[in-house]
Amino acid sequence: MTFLEKMKGSSQSPPRVSVSEILLSWLGSFLGIAAVALLNFRLLDGSDLVMIIGSFGASAVLIYGAIRSPLAQPRNLIGGHVLSAVIGVAIYKILPEAPWLASSLAVSTAIAAMHATKTLHPPGGATALIAVIGTEKIHALGFMYALVPVGAGAAIMLLVALVFNNIPKSRRYPEFWL
Amino acid sequence: MTDTTIDACVPVEISDDDIFEAMTQIPGYLDITPGDFKEVYLKSYQHALQRLTRSVHVKEVMTTEVAAVLRSTSIREVAELMARRRVSGVPVLNTDRSVVGVISERDFLRTMGDEQSATFMDVIADCLRGGKCLAAPMRIQCAEDIMTAPPVTVNPDTSVMEVANIMARQRINRVPVVDATGKLIGIASRADVVRSSLVR
Repeated sequence: MTFLEKMKGSSQSPPRVSVSEILLSWLGSFLGIAAVALLNFRLLDGSDLVMIIGSFGASAVLIYGAIRSPLAQPRNLIGGHVLSAVIGVAIYKILPEAPWLASSLAVSTAIAAMHATKTLHPPGGATALIAVIGTEKIHALGFMYALVPVGAGAAIMLLVALVFNNIPKSRRYPEFWL
Repeated sequence: MTDTTIDACVPVEISDDDIFEAMTQIPGYLDITPGDFKEVYLKSYQHALQRLTRSVHVKEVMTTEVAAVLRSTSIREVAELMARRRVSGVPVLNTDRSVVGVISERDFLRTMGDEQSATFMDVIADCLRGGKCLAAPMRIQCAEDIMTAPPVTVNPDTSVMEVANIMARQRINRVPVVDATGKLIGIASRADVVRSSLVR
């Protein structure tokens, strides 16, 4: 295939899922995000702690919307988030004065590390980026960021996914643990 | 020795549409394109084929009651034996049972026809034109006069995959199986190879 031929694509989009599947994805992700959001806005409001970060929205797509995907499995969800968080914080600490370089290094290194550890989870890239471009509240957490909100939040969403995704006949989760 | 893919063993041709239809039957979003699935399917089919054929040795599929002849056996007896045993080829042996050649129907045709590459129909056509028995001059010949030598042989632990490759490459239909000293212990035909890869 030539360079230009490759750009035309060679396969087709997978089929649209059924209406019931759409409703299940909607309900599952609503519950999963509700769990972390309630903790964040009701319990930790006013404290120095945060429970919810933007990358959880992306995780919800996978663990409630594409639950068979290798990217959506527990190993990837927890491993990808925590590993990326540690990498993001470390790079911010090394390069706080060069946000453009810290941002790009955090994301690219996180992806490489997730690949190497078989924990590729796309939202992990966002988690690493947030460690660099996040608020002062995030920066103040230091490496704690990897545990709360990242580790704890991912764990709560995993718990919801384990319960919710195994109730309907048409779903089962996970495909594998480790 | 390189592994060549056996052309006869291509998997069922599935289309992207077949895969798409199958994907709609599975509830939930599958994180893969039909094209990727097809690639995985074709590659895994090749792996399965290699695993199945590599794990089978020719000694497990060969025929051990071999119809064989000696160098000095007359052509008439060779033909009678092949007819009686309903085989299309026999190994030719020394008195110590080592294989020195193979006689197949093709060797008969080659000897009977005018050209080196006579086919069954060439011989029939010749017969119909001349009305004489083309095999008649062969009466005085014996096995070693018309056999193909040296023979292509394999040892008992050769994989069926390798035997299939040898048959395809050498354009032969059977291969004698010999022990370390070259003595005949069996013969594997194309039918034996096909049976071993299908009936399992």
